[in-house]
Amino acid sequence: MELGQMQKSLQDYTKSLFVEGILDSQFLQLPQLQDESNSDFVSQVVSLFFQDSDRILNDLSLSLDQKVVDFEKVDPYVHQLKGSSSSIGAQRVKNACVVFRSFCEQKNVEACHRCLQQVKQEYYLVKNRLETLFKLEQQIVASGGMISAMDLGF
Amino acid sequence: MTVEQDCVALDQFPVGMRVLAVDDDQTCLRILESLLHRCQYHVTTTNQAQKALELLRENKNKFDLVISDVDMPDMDGFKLLELVGLEMDLPVIMLSAHSDPKYVMKGVTHGACDYLLKPVRIEELKNIWQHVVRSRFDKNRGSNNGDKKDGSGNNEGVANSDPNNGRANRKRKDQYNEDEDEERDDNDDPSSQKKPRVVWTVELHKKFVAAVNQLGFEKAMPKKILDLMNVEKLTRENVASHLQKFRLYLKRISGNQQAIMANSDLHFLQMSNGLDGFHHRPIPVGSGQFHGGAAAAGMRPFSPNGILGRLNTPSGIGGVRNNLSSPSSGMFLQNPTDLGKFHHVSSLPLNHIDGGNILQGLPMPLEFDQLQTNNNKSIIAGNSMAFPSFPTQQSSLPNNNNHLVLEGHPQASPSAFPGHQINKRLEHWSNAVSSSSSTLPPAQNSNSIIIGHQFDVSPLPHSKPDSLEWNTQNASSSYSIPFFYYDSSQMRQSGNYGPTTDAMLSSNPKEGFIVGQQKLQSGFMGAEAGSLDDIVNSTMKQEQSQGDLSEGDLGYGGFSSLRTCL
Repeated sequence: MELGQMQKSLQDYTKSLFVEGILDSQFLQLPQLQDESNSDFVSQVVSLFFQDSDRILNDLSLSLDQKVVDFEKVDPYVHQLKGSSSSIGAQRVKNACVVFRSFCEQKNVEACHRCLQQVKQEYYLVKNRLETLFKLEQQIVASGGMISAMDLGF
Repeated sequence: MTVEQDCVALDQFPVGMRVLAVDDDQTCLRILESLLHRCQYHVTTTNQAQKALELLRENKNKFDLVISDVDMPDMDGFKLLELVGLEMDLPVIMLSAHSDPKYVMKGVTHGACDYLLKPVRIEELKNIWQHVVRSRFDKNRGSNNGDKKDGSGNNEGVANSDPNNGRANRKRKDQYNEDEDEERDDNDDPSSQKKPRVVWTVELHKKFVAAVNQLGFEKAMPKKILDLMNVEKLTRENVASHLQKFRLYLKRISGNQQAIMANSDLHFLQMSNGLDGFHHRPIPVGSGQFHGGAAAAGMRPFSPNGILGRLNTPSGIGGVRNNLSSPSSGMFLQNPTDLGKFHHVSSLPLNHIDGGNILQGLPMPLEFDQLQTNNNKSIIAGNSMAFPSFPTQQSSLPNNNNHLVLEGHPQASPSAFPGHQINKRLEHWSNAVSSSSSTLPPAQNSNSIIIGHQFDVSPLPHSKPDSLEWNTQNASSSYSIPFFYYDSSQMRQSGNYGPTTDAMLSSNPKEGFIVGQQKLQSGFMGAEAGSLDDIVNSTMKQEQSQGDLSEGDLGYGGFSSLRTCL
C-alpha cells in the first residue's frame, strides 16, 4: 500500500474511533505529550493501561465469583479502572465503569455481573482498536512515513 | 499579576518546580508525569504512598508540591495528605476519579490545597504552581515582616484570589472575586501591596480581650473594640480579623474544657500566628460561601514548620503528643495571668490535653482543605488543622476526617455565651468549632469559624520554629510574640458563619479558655501565624464588608473566611 494511502487509512481509522465514542478527547492529549525525550510515550501509556486493566478485570471476575461478594473490594477496582480508562480516553470503558459502580453501591450482584461483562466488552473493543491503530502506525513508519500528532486526532 | 511576576522572577519559577506525584495506578501516574513534564516541572513519581512519605521525610526541601491520588491501597490519600501537611507543610493537591463533593470536602478538610478530577488535563496542571506561591506567601505574611522567605509572597493580593483553582466553584469564585475586589478597596492599603502587619502581642491582646469583655462578647464589634483599645495604628480591620480568630478559637477550645483554659491566650495567639500556612484567599464577602480563597490555597494542613515540626513530625498526630510535652510548644502565652481570662499554660506541656491536642489542631487542615476547594469555603472545619485546638480530640488527631477536629466537643453548652467571660467564650468557640466541624459542609458557615479557634491568645511566634521553642522559654510573661498579622485584605467574611457559629458559640458556656491548656497546640500555630491572619483577615474583611460581623447571620461567627488556618 502506498504511504499516502496508509496515512489516510490511519486518519480515517482514528477518526472512526472518536466518532464511535470509543475514544474521547482525553486521548488526544497523549500524543501532545510525546516528544523526543519520550518518543514512545503513547504506546507506553497504552500498554500500561492494558496491563493494569487486564489485571483489574481479572481481579474483578474473581471477586464477583465469590459466594459472598465483597463490594468493599469490588468498588475500588471499578473505581481504579474508571480512573485509568478516563485518563487514557477510553470513553466507553469509563462509562461502563460508572454504571458498574452504581450497581456496586446498590450491592446488586447480578447487575454487577452484567456490568462486568459490559466493561470487559468495551475494554476488549478499545484494546483491539488501539492495537490496530498502532499497527497501522508502525506500517507507516516502516514504510518511511511519519506519524504526526495530527494523525492521531482531528 | 504581581505575584505571578514575582514568581517568574524567582529563578524561573514555576519552571523547574519540584513535584512529587503519587498514584498507585501506573497508567495515570505515567500520564501525570508527562503532563507535569510538559508544564516544565521537575517530577518525581512513586506509586506508593509510603515511599512518598519516605522521600519527603528524607529531605523536606526537596519538593515544592505533592500531587496525590486519593485511593491507594497502601495508604489512604487523605491520610497521606494530612501527614504531609503536618510534617512537611507542603502544598498537596489531591487527585481522584471521584467527583463526589464529599470527597472534595474531605480533601479540603484534610488540608489539600486543591482537588483535581481525573482525567487530569494539562490546563489544570499548568496553574498548580500557584499553590506553592500562595503557601509561601502566606507563610511570609505570617512571620515577621521581612523575615521570611523570598519575595514571592510579598505582593499579596490580587493574585491570590484570582487564580484560584479552576475547580472550585466558579460561582463562588466569581462572587469571591467580586467581593474581594470590593473588600480590597476598603482596605487601608491597596490590596496589591503588602500591608503592614499587626502583631498581636500579649499586651495588645490583653487590651483586646479587656475591650471585648467590656463590651460583652456577643456585642463586641470591631469598631467598638478598636475604640476601647485605643491603640494607634490599629485598624478596625485588624481588630475584626483578630476578633474573628478569637471567636473561632473560643469555639474550638470550648470543646475542650479542661486544661485548655490556661493556655487560651497563648494558644490563641499562637494560633493566629500560625495561620500563616494557609493561604487564604481573601474571602469574598458575599455570599456567605466560603471563601474559596482562604480555604483553598492555604488550607494546607497547618502544620507549619514550626509547631508541627516540632511536634514531631513523624507520626503526625501521634508524634505530636510527645512533642508537645517536651518543648513547650510554643503556643502558649506564657502568661496566664496577663491574659486575663485566658490562662495559658505556661509550660507547655499542657498538651496533656491529649497529647493529641496539638495535633488536633493539625489535622484540621483537612477540613480546611475542603474549604479550599470550594473557593469560598471558609475555613470551616479546617480547624482541625490549624488550630491546635486540642479539644477533646485527644486521641485522634487524625481524625479529622472532615471534622474540625477542633475540639472534640461537639457542642458545648452554647447558651450562655454572651455573658461569659472570655474563657467561656473560648469554650464556645471551640465548641462552635466543633459543631461546625460536624456539620461542616462547605457551604455552611462553619467554615470560617474553625480557624478562629486556634488562636490562642498567646501570641505565637511567627516563625515556625520559634513557636515550639517558645514554650520552653516561656517563662517570661512578656514575650511579644508577633502575633498574627492581619492581612486585612484577606479577611472577608463569608457570611456563612451565621448559623453554625451561633450554635457553636452557644454550646459552651463554660468551658472557658481551653486554649490555655492547649498550649501545646498553640505552639503549633505559631508557625503558621501568617495563615491565621489571613484567615482572620479574610473573615474580618467580610465582616467589614458586611457590616458588623456580629450582626450577621453568623452571630459571632461571622467568620467567613475561615481559611484553613492551618
